[in-house]
Amino acid sequence: MGRENLTILDGVDVSLAYGDSLAIVGVSGSGKTTLLGILAGLDLPTSGKVWLDGEELTEMDEEQRAKVRSKVVGFVFQSFQLIESLTALENVMLPGELRGDSTARQDAEEFLDRVGVGDRTKHYPRQLSGGEQQRVAIARAFASRPTVLFADEPTGNLDTATGKLVADLLFDLNQEVGTTLVLVTHDVGLASRCKHRIELTAGKITS
Amino acid sequence: MNFHLVLKLVLRDWRAGELRLLLVSLLVAVGIVAAITMTVGRLQSAMMLEAASYLAADRVISGGKPIPEAFIDAADQNELAMSHTLTFTSMVVAQSTDARTQLVSVKAVDDEYPLRGTLKVTDEPFGWGDATEDVPDPGKVWLDSRLFPALGVELGDRVQVGYADFEISRVLTHEPDRGGSMWDMGPRLLMNIADVPATQVVQPGSRLNYKLLLSGERAGLDSVFETIREDLRPDYDWEDVRRSVAQIGRALDRAERFFLIGGSLAVLLAGVAIALSAQRYASRHINHVGILKTLGATPNDVLFAILGVLLLIGLVGMTLGYAAGSALHYFLVWNFRELLPAELPGVGFRPLILSTVTGLICLFTFALPQFLALKNISPLRVLRRDIADGATSKLVTYSFAAIGSVSLLIWYAENVLLVVGLLVGISLTCLVFSGIALVLLKGGRVVGAEAGSVWRLALAGLQRRRGSNTGQIIVFGLAIMMLLIIFLLRTTLIEEWQAQLPDELPNHFLLNVTNAQVEGVEAFLDEHAVYDGFLLPMLPGRVVAVNNENVRTYQENIQGTVRRMSGPRLSSTRQLTYLEDLPNENKVVKGDWWDPNTGAHEVSIEDSYAYRWDLDIGDELTFQVAGSEVTATVTSIRSLQWESFQPNFFMILSPAALREVPATFITGFHLADEDKRYVQDLISQFPTITVIDVGSIIEQVQSILSRATQAVEWVLYLVLGGGVLVLIAAIQSGRDYRMREYALIRSLGGSRNLISGSLIAEFTFLGAMAGLVAVCGAELSMWFIEGVIFEFDYTPRPMLWILGPLMGMVIILSVGYLGTRQLVSTPPIAVLRDF
Repeated sequence: MGRENLTILDGVDVSLAYGDSLAIVGVSGSGKTTLLGILAGLDLPTSGKVWLDGEELTEMDEEQRAKVRSKVVGFVFQSFQLIESLTALENVMLPGELRGDSTARQDAEEFLDRVGVGDRTKHYPRQLSGGEQQRVAIARAFASRPTVLFADEPTGNLDTATGKLVADLLFDLNQEVGTTLVLVTHDVGLASRCKHRIELTAGKITS
Repeated sequence: MNFHLVLKLVLRDWRAGELRLLLVSLLVAVGIVAAITMTVGRLQSAMMLEAASYLAADRVISGGKPIPEAFIDAADQNELAMSHTLTFTSMVVAQSTDARTQLVSVKAVDDEYPLRGTLKVTDEPFGWGDATEDVPDPGKVWLDSRLFPALGVELGDRVQVGYADFEISRVLTHEPDRGGSMWDMGPRLLMNIADVPATQVVQPGSRLNYKLLLSGERAGLDSVFETIREDLRPDYDWEDVRRSVAQIGRALDRAERFFLIGGSLAVLLAGVAIALSAQRYASRHINHVGILKTLGATPNDVLFAILGVLLLIGLVGMTLGYAAGSALHYFLVWNFRELLPAELPGVGFRPLILSTVTGLICLFTFALPQFLALKNISPLRVLRRDIADGATSKLVTYSFAAIGSVSLLIWYAENVLLVVGLLVGISLTCLVFSGIALVLLKGGRVVGAEAGSVWRLALAGLQRRRGSNTGQIIVFGLAIMMLLIIFLLRTTLIEEWQAQLPDELPNHFLLNVTNAQVEGVEAFLDEHAVYDGFLLPMLPGRVVAVNNENVRTYQENIQGTVRRMSGPRLSSTRQLTYLEDLPNENKVVKGDWWDPNTGAHEVSIEDSYAYRWDLDIGDELTFQVAGSEVTATVTSIRSLQWESFQPNFFMILSPAALREVPATFITGFHLADEDKRYVQDLISQFPTITVIDVGSIIEQVQSILSRATQAVEWVLYLVLGGGVLVLIAAIQSGRDYRMREYALIRSLGGSRNLISGSLIAEFTFLGAMAGLVAVCGAELSMWFIEGVIFEFDYTPRPMLWILGPLMGMVIILSVGYLGTRQLVSTPPIAVLRDF
């Protein structure tokens, strides 16, 4: 049996200035997450080009893209993606440690305080509620003071109230740190808080 | 990424328990190798030392002519200890009024004798001896107990040997190198070699046996052999204990092979455990690495971290493993302290090198491929679970593991044949049973669809995870197979050793019993000894012609051919016997044993003797026995066990050939230690018969065998430890998916009983299948190992086909259920949150 080539994204042309925020919306399977992955340098498009912070990701190998990520990118995921074997503090310290920052620990403690889980630094992810885990994930994303923060359905796994708290935190920190924010969401309310918004339908920008 | 961070990551992984099983597996692999090589090395040296006392030396050069100076110089240059002895047969005359005479075997020794083992002497004939470091002073002799009644002498009396006379100063009760040729041995007279010239027995034509005893470092001994080997033939023999004492040589060889097989299996098992725990570690870190990569870790960072983890684990595991191995070794040595000599040979570097290399090979071939897979994990996996996990291809993983196992085994066992045998057994079993397991697992679903929900759940699970379950069956099966092999082998070996030395083995032999004495001797033995009536006729005789050709001409012709090797000569006088039935422990390998009532003159020949002298069925041998000539046809070739403590004969004739010739008889009997005094009564009653006491030889062999048996038992325990580790690792590696599935089922309302029942059903099935795999592999390997490596007769074990699956069920069920019982008691939410 042969395999047909599927076009996931087609003719997508987006540019975003420093400090801006962008919401990518669309139904399931429309290509939102694929676009996010490509923009963040986690994946490469089969054709087309991507620039991030002035560097052309599509010309780089995985080794170089990883270095760019470590300098300019932060992530928040729908399923939190904390490392189970590390405490909240260690999870937040990790990006700093990977870059070799000597202030990784202080930065981590500061951001854990700022997201309101400063008293849970020694807890493991499994000992935290969903909302607390996402706060730790947000602290981890901001602790490295990224130029761009990519968030994949950051409130998708949370109840409305907790979701709103997490979203507030995301936008407040975005304002405060001056990060560029790219988020994928189903949540119309969350999308409307972004300065720009694109809707994907079957891999194409429809609005 | 710097090493400091790697260290932190390792410590955090350790804290989370992710590395424990890997570390323990490595520790066990290194520990087992260290413990086995250290203990076995030292036990072997101790056994060799004990065995060396059989020769009274490590090596012996013997011959009918004086030892050449060149040999002595070679030994000198290699700094070996040396001792000269000279043995000859002589008539000894008591210097008393009745001047009784006796043919004795005189041994003249220098002050260094013996180099290994000790002489034992006493002041009371037939008394217990005490070890002494002395040898007879010049002018004095020590006599065997039985010579005192035979010559009618006491301590302090004088005896004449050749032209010199000597004072009898001690009773000789034990001589370490006496076992060699127990059937040619007359009673012993021990004297100082300085007195030999005075006796004037060394004349042209006298039958003398010169020996140069050597002891020292193995390298020195080997070097001497290399230097003089060309000059040994045809007058001298080079003896080591394996060649000289069949009983010991075979036991040592077999024990060594067992240790090597046991060690290899233990290492393989630990290797499998390492591979399984590395696989589990890797699969649990796929997401971990994905996250690290989204956070900016480059593939090279990941590689650096992986190698760092391996290096650290390796360093810690190998250090702790070596320490644990050493501790176990000291415990074993302490445990064997009664059996071991006070001063043990050193451990040496071999165990350290062997265990370190084992650890490295295990890590780099069993664990590294699993770890390397992590390097290529796509960071996109964090966003999308359906992305391939980048696992190393199975082919690469298996090839690495196969290369690792083969090189480990060959290096460890130093026996390519053994390794090939084991690997063929293992691979065939894996291949055949992977197929069978897959088919059965597929069929199980159909059968189970109608069954109760517990079975349905279990069989559905088994079938859904067909691939990984097949893998588990094979791993469980291999582990149980190796345990079976080592257990069966140990049992065979120990049974063989015990059969070789039954409790009431004859420890005395009577020679020269005349026809007239038979009745009286039998009555005496019936009363005082354990005696089974075995009375063999014995006649000294020699071959004078082969197919009517003079034996000397025949012999010279043969010696010109390729068969020129050392061994007994055809023309020498030797003991013959005639028998109706084939003796126990003898096996006809060519031709047929005669009819008990045959009237024909037939002869049966020992196989190596027949080969050496090119004798075959149909050849006619003419013997000279008691002054007359008897011609007999070769009708059978026999193999026999030289290591049995029974009189063995190169040539046995049919009764019709020799019945009319006057013979003396030989018999063996067992006498308990407290009844030894009866020997004196026996000799007084029948002064012409000769008593040979082989008790001390038997005791020595028993002591060596009991050491070997204990060591074999310990190797078995170590392999068992490796096996249990593999089982735990295998259960652990399947634990995660079971956890997730059963948590889901419980959250959907499945009861604890349903989960327990299903787990039990699943493990029962896996266990039974694994048991079947194990029995199949074990039988296949045992057929090879027993038949080819150990030269035992392989016998199939039908009970194993029932016991194996049962054992598999019990083991897998208990280890499996204990390892996963948490699944039943953990609240499902706690489990689901983890995944």
